[in-house]
Amino acid sequence: MKKYVTYFLIFLPFILFAQNKEEDNNNTYKKRVLENVEVDILTSFYAQDGDNAAVTGGIGSENLKDIAANINISIPLNADDVFTFDATISDYTSASSSNLNPFYKEGGRNGNDDNDDDDRRPQNKTIWNAKTAASSGNNGTGATIGTPWSASSGASKTDIWASGTLGYSHSSDDRDNIYNAHLSFSAEFDYTSVGLGLGITKLFNQKNTEFGLKGNVYFDTWNPQYPTEIKTYIKTGGNLNRDFFNGIDILDQNGIPTDKTSNNTWKPIHNSFIDNKGRNTYSLSLSFSQILSKKLQISIFSDIVMQKGWLANPMQRVYFADRPNYYVGRASDIPNYTNYKNQGVFQLADDYERLPDNRLKIPFGARLHYYINEFIVFKTYYRYYSDDWNIKSHTLNFELPIKISEKYTLYPNYRFYNQTAAKYFADYEQHNSTSSFYTSDFDLSKYNANQFGIGIKYTDIFTKKKVWKFGFKNWSLNYNYYKRNTGLYAHIISFGTKFVLDK
Amino acid sequence: MKHKIIITSLLLLASLSSCVAVKEYEKVNINDPDMSLTSRKETKFETTFQVYREGASGANGGKSGGGCGCN
Repeated sequence: MKKYVTYFLIFLPFILFAQNKEEDNNNTYKKRVLENVEVDILTSFYAQDGDNAAVTGGIGSENLKDIAANINISIPLNADDVFTFDATISDYTSASSSNLNPFYKEGGRNGNDDNDDDDRRPQNKTIWNAKTAASSGNNGTGATIGTPWSASSGASKTDIWASGTLGYSHSSDDRDNIYNAHLSFSAEFDYTSVGLGLGITKLFNQKNTEFGLKGNVYFDTWNPQYPTEIKTYIKTGGNLNRDFFNGIDILDQNGIPTDKTSNNTWKPIHNSFIDNKGRNTYSLSLSFSQILSKKLQISIFSDIVMQKGWLANPMQRVYFADRPNYYVGRASDIPNYTNYKNQGVFQLADDYERLPDNRLKIPFGARLHYYINEFIVFKTYYRYYSDDWNIKSHTLNFELPIKISEKYTLYPNYRFYNQTAAKYFADYEQHNSTSSFYTSDFDLSKYNANQFGIGIKYTDIFTKKKVWKFGFKNWSLNYNYYKRNTGLYAHIISFGTKFVLDK
Repeated sequence: MKHKIIITSLLLLASLSSCVAVKEYEKVNINDPDMSLTSRKETKFETTFQVYREGASGANGGKSGGGCGCN
């Protein structure tokens, strides 16, 4: 304790000296915070693939494609105040999500259970190239099969996520104090969110130094979607001759049909749905920025995030090592269950993912930007992350904006990421059924990832080209390739434009 | 040990505010758009997919876990 007091007293004169503010000779002139209405439009296409789908217990296709579009409009209300509107819509198609219900009839329509989404899906599975599937040739009469290695035609295969945010900021006359607030809403088929945020930014030392404090809360709610076999089991009270299971054999590890009325057949270890569907997030963000010289500046920031509620994803299956395995589909595919050769059998889940109802996250980040010369800027970013689920990670990012001409800038960049595994993570068929919490979501596993990217931006500061009353300010095109050492890889292409409303 | 490093670093950083007072007319380079101490707007969707695919989040201007069924 004495040491810290000593340190504080040593540094105190420097801190106090920094607060000596020079009189501003231009204190009668107040520059507008935002001169004109600005509109930013951003679109992206994302595609990934891998072999560790969480919905199918840590194995299976992670094929996913997503198209997203965002519009951000900033409107100056007066010299001090700005209103912003931000909206995003995203449409994704996922093999993994489709396998909430992976079952279908060979050569025919899926579903012989209750009147749910299964019965309204289109006939015939045509998404993947069936190398071994035997078609009965008759609609709806083939055996019920499934596989974690390709997409089913389930309704959960595709979904739309939409969000909107309204923001307001007010700057003091001297522009040394900025207050902001925002309200957000988002929704997708299994999740809705309402968010609020407040923030204050304080500049001093002739605006060379900046402190920021921001608080956010999100009140989110799951609309839980469960693996079809677990959902059906709970709905029918454990009767394996009703609903989806009517007329379907449940096979043991040797491919022999089990007696579904006996104890020697499949059943999940829990038989209840989620009670508390809330998922709330509270965060406090601190930031500090400092201009170090005419060419160098640094910022350091941290978030303290507390999450409470149902933090697991009920879509994600878990399989236990200490429980026998049971399947629906072709017995001949069981030996190949964990690879792509399996195109006809699906293992019934032992449970869905369960995680603690609270999580504390503390990331620390820093940016250091150096203006090398009029052509090149060197940008670095580092983050250390730690949470009480035992995940610790490092993120390191470099970007080198290069002005190749008056109007064009290139943005080569590289990002490295690594993390330790969450203490509740284990691979497919590695969990023990006596555990309270478990996940086979490889997003929470131990891995490292590299991301390489390149971007190009065109800027016309005079906005000579017009679209109606809006001057075209810039466009940008960015490509990034992401690769994990667990096998997941992804491509993302983004295209953005900016317009400014002429006065 | 970690606490000592963090507290010492915070004190050092706070004292950095005394080191430099670059005048407004000297901030031509600092005010370059590429020198902004935030991630580029064009990387918004990259940050989003990283939040979904990685266990870590926050301290980057993106989501920190709320507002989505992500990590």
